[in-house]
Amino acid sequence: MTTKKKKKNSADNSFAAIEKKIDKKATDAHEMKPSEAVSSEGGTMSESLIMVRNLEKHYGELHALDGVSMNIEKGEVVVIIGPSGSGKSTFLRSLNLLEVPTSGEIIFEGVNMLDKHVDINVHRQKMGMVFQHFNLFPHMTIMKNVTIGPMKLLKVSKEEAEKRATELLKRVGLADRANAYPSQLSGGQKQRIAIVRALCMQPDVMLFDEPTSALDPEMVGEVLEVMKSLAKEGMTMAVVTHEMGFAKEVADRVVFMADGKILETGSPEEIFSNPKTEKAKQFLASVLS
Amino acid sequence: MYFAAAKSFDEWFEDLQMRFVNDFITDNRWKYLWNGLGVTLKITAGAVVIGIILGFLVAAIRATHDKTGKLRVLNVLANIYLTVIRGTPVVVQLLITYFVILAPLGVNEVIVAICAFGINSGAYVAEIVRAGIMSIDNGQFEAGRSLGFNYAQTMWYIILPQAFKNILPALCNEFIVLLKETSVSGYVALQDLTKGGDIIRGRTFDAFLPLIAVALIYLVMVLILTKLVSILERRLRSSDH
Repeated sequence: MTTKKKKKNSADNSFAAIEKKIDKKATDAHEMKPSEAVSSEGGTMSESLIMVRNLEKHYGELHALDGVSMNIEKGEVVVIIGPSGSGKSTFLRSLNLLEVPTSGEIIFEGVNMLDKHVDINVHRQKMGMVFQHFNLFPHMTIMKNVTIGPMKLLKVSKEEAEKRATELLKRVGLADRANAYPSQLSGGQKQRIAIVRALCMQPDVMLFDEPTSALDPEMVGEVLEVMKSLAKEGMTMAVVTHEMGFAKEVADRVVFMADGKILETGSPEEIFSNPKTEKAKQFLASVLS
Repeated sequence: MYFAAAKSFDEWFEDLQMRFVNDFITDNRWKYLWNGLGVTLKITAGAVVIGIILGFLVAAIRATHDKTGKLRVLNVLANIYLTVIRGTPVVVQLLITYFVILAPLGVNEVIVAICAFGINSGAYVAEIVRAGIMSIDNGQFEAGRSLGFNYAQTMWYIILPQAFKNILPALCNEFIVLLKETSVSGYVALQDLTKGGDIIRGRTFDAFLPLIAVALIYLVMVLILTKLVSILERRLRSSDH
């Protein structure tokens, strides 16, 4: 029996090899499919701005992201909520590869960001990011903070960069602080500047990583106001936050994460008034009470 | 008693004057110190330049390796360099540089000393700079990268200016140490400031005045440098609040 099998195998050897080759071609084609699909779709119908497929992130033993898939549409405001350690920040930070996922796909404007041949720096220019701890550059004035990106990366002239920056600073009510240094500003002011810094790069999407968590309570409002007005203007936003009020008011979609997985996703009404999973119920009960 | 003391003071002062003339004026012996000072400053300046270049280079390699895991081979080389230089005395390094490596090639002694002290200083500068880079909050790095700056641009525009401010005192201290360390240059037949004073001692058999003079000159230079550093520090701080 076994000898027969062996014989058959050896007889079919060349065929098997060819088959393998074909198989390989097929998988190659399959692997290329998402980006192809996107580019072919792009002409006819609106594609998702960001498509995330099966994102995995391991930190040693810790499974921080466990097969996360999600689309973010152009102009959409997605708010990601969940208990601490649920992987929501890791997920947001992997969208612009500050955190490099172990496996999976992130397709941003039709380009697979995890492809080794992709120049990640070019794509990061189109993804503004706002951090919990602001991370303004302390050795530069506010004006320098918000213009260094456009000037050095987009090769915008100083006059043009400052003109645009001044407009944006006016919008967040801080035009008069252009020549101050970050250490002279309050937390809320710093975060508004951080938002302006990201906006000055004219990004296609803004990522907010717990933008109000490090603020004194009385300063949360001013930052949320800026974010609301951005949302109203149609900016695509992905926001990790504990501000449930903001999520209810502004989000087009709320995503609930726990243990590195997306457990629920839906409109704010669906998630907040009718959570389906036990974890979401528990979490919402604890934060809304 | 009072009379005797006064007399002996006069005698002592007269003696001092004579020794001063003999040590510094006769045969223009002050020129040993003057020329020696020139050599000391030349060596120090050259070594500072090499030390900074080498130090920042090695620090960049090590910090890049620490942050990204790249440049493995260069990092190993940098580690060997740091271990060897910091694990052996500078006099031995100077002697090896001179007698083993460069003297057979007929290289000028000043160049030899500049190389030896520069390579030595580079190791210490590297560790100072690396500590400075690592002391900057990683959020600064992430903020730079999130705007779209690549690793080198982030280093150059965002991390290094901040790190430089933090390490400036330590860096200047290293160069003050370097200035004083060059006093062993006499080992390779260089007539630096220290050697100059020693030559005068050999001529006049008076150790006190020439060596005190040498010590004073070093002290004044160090004081001037320290003052300059504090001015620079204040100016850098005023841009930061």
